[in-house]
Amino acid sequence: MIGEILKGMSITFKTMFQPPTTVSYPEVKKPVAERFRGRHELKRYDNGLERCIGCSLCAAACPADAIFVEAAENTDEERYSPGERYAKVYEINMLRCIFCGYCEDACPTEAVVLEKNYELASYSRESLIYTKDMLLVPHPADIQKTA
Amino acid sequence: MQKNDQADKFIIPIGPQHPALKEPGHFEFTVDGEIVTGATIRLGYVHRGIEKATESRTWVQNLYLLERVCGICSHIHATAYCLGVERLAGLSVPPRAQAIRELVVELERIHSHMLWLGVAAHEAGFDTLFMYSWRDRETVMDILEGLTGNRVHYSANILGGVKIDVDAEQTKTILQGVDFLEKRTHHYLDVVTTDSAFVQRTAGIAVMSKAVAEHFGAVGPTARASGVTQDIRIDAPYLAYEDFPVEIVLDTAGDLKARFVVRVQELFQSYQVIRAILDKLPAGELAVTMPRRIKENETISRVEAPRGELFYYLKSNGTDKPERIKIRTPSICNFGTVPALAAGHQLADMPMILAGIDPCFSCNDRMVTIHRPADDSQTWTWEMLRQYGISYYREKER
Ligand code: SF4
Ligand code: SF4
Repeated sequence: MIGEILKGMSITFKTMFQPPTTVSYPEVKKPVAERFRGRHELKRYDNGLERCIGCSLCAAACPADAIFVEAAENTDEERYSPGERYAKVYEINMLRCIFCGYCEDACPTEAVVLEKNYELASYSRESLIYTKDMLLVPHPADIQKTA
Repeated sequence: MQKNDQADKFIIPIGPQHPALKEPGHFEFTVDGEIVTGATIRLGYVHRGIEKATESRTWVQNLYLLERVCGICSHIHATAYCLGVERLAGLSVPPRAQAIRELVVELERIHSHMLWLGVAAHEAGFDTLFMYSWRDRETVMDILEGLTGNRVHYSANILGGVKIDVDAEQTKTILQGVDFLEKRTHHYLDVVTTDSAFVQRTAGIAVMSKAVAEHFGAVGPTARASGVTQDIRIDAPYLAYEDFPVEIVLDTAGDLKARFVVRVQELFQSYQVIRAILDKLPAGELAVTMPRRIKENETISRVEAPRGELFYYLKSNGTDKPERIKIRTPSICNFGTVPALAAGHQLADMPMILAGIDPCFSCNDRMVTIHRPADDSQTWTWEMLRQYGISYYREKER
């Protein structure tokens, strides 16, 4: 019995000199994996045009019915995406989303991508319906302006 | 599940909310001093109606719904469902996809068994083992996150194949992780078999003979610890278990210690099979296209979940939605053994005995329909009940 207690204590003693495993979240964040599926982003082409063409394939694929897309026609004066149509309304209900990544796979233009952000808590249900403004990545020109 | 012989004795009710386990269940222990003489279990507090919900969703949507039946063994549910649906639709899934599925299944088994090791140690008051095993479990969680993108619900499966591929870099990290875990598992095997304080809590406790295990229809590691040779991976190989087989892990002691030993030993089988898969991963496609509708048919699908045999019954009706899906999870088979094993033990052993079957409450809470013959005196029609009610209240008024 004494021998076993010593054996156990020796493990405790050895472990005392190892760095702690605990991560002091939120001060320290553990990096997520490359394939991690977090909050969505709507991507743009390098020239600033939106990739999304409002085809609703993501909404059709979504097993949780979390996506709502309403498309509208591009005109020459007001051009959002290279194709004929663009997404006028694009909403993802983060309360419904199960982060399966099916939308990402369904999208023909790689517009919707699940990125690395996982801090999605909020105080109200309304604020968890992410609109296009929130999802769309900033225009490259805007980034330059602020930089 | 009744085994209360002495109703006049002192009864200790525990639950549904209780500090011993993290999931709700109601237990009534009849005690004589500290010794438990009978036990009743009441389940069903976390019934979610998933089976019914599947009937209003498409085949694809159900994959994600059913993956959420269990938060620990999520991939195995998705796999059992996929195998069934693919059989219904007559698809043949590429060998590479099957091997990757098996890889994730085995990684999941490691995570589940290590989680259980920690929980069971915690129930025994051995929190050091709990902390260490969960720290090491992070290794496999990180592997799963790296491989599939999520720690819990991996969404690795799609109907007709898998969504993820394994590249050379992934292989390297998985092998490194497995090597580390194997080293740690040797240590844990040593701890659970030799640490005298711990062995006092497990050796000779809740001994279940092979006959009792078979009588109650126990499955998985719980049954194998009583010497029942049953492992679906071997009895009816699915996925790629024919090419990458596992060996059955048996123990004949049937006590709690045997259940620890069997589960820890099974980890070594998982390591071995993961190495074999990564070594000889078949080349080829990851998925085939799945039709939207499936013609009228029915099938079953059995797989070995970390807790034992998982059974799916699927019925299609020619539309894009299933007619009926029935799930039988392993925990419900094992629960029956608990009241039988409880009698004669100290009240303090109850959490350990319960944890010994590795119960998962939410996944086993489903509706059970009992078919009785129509002329059975206990089967009442609506009209009979109504008549009974009327005459009952007439009697009372008088
Ligand atoms: S991740 Fe899945 S649930 Fe979420 S929006 Fe995309 S398809 Fe829908
Ligand atoms: S995100 Fe992709 S799939 Fe969804 S509407 Fe836009 S282009 Fe179509």
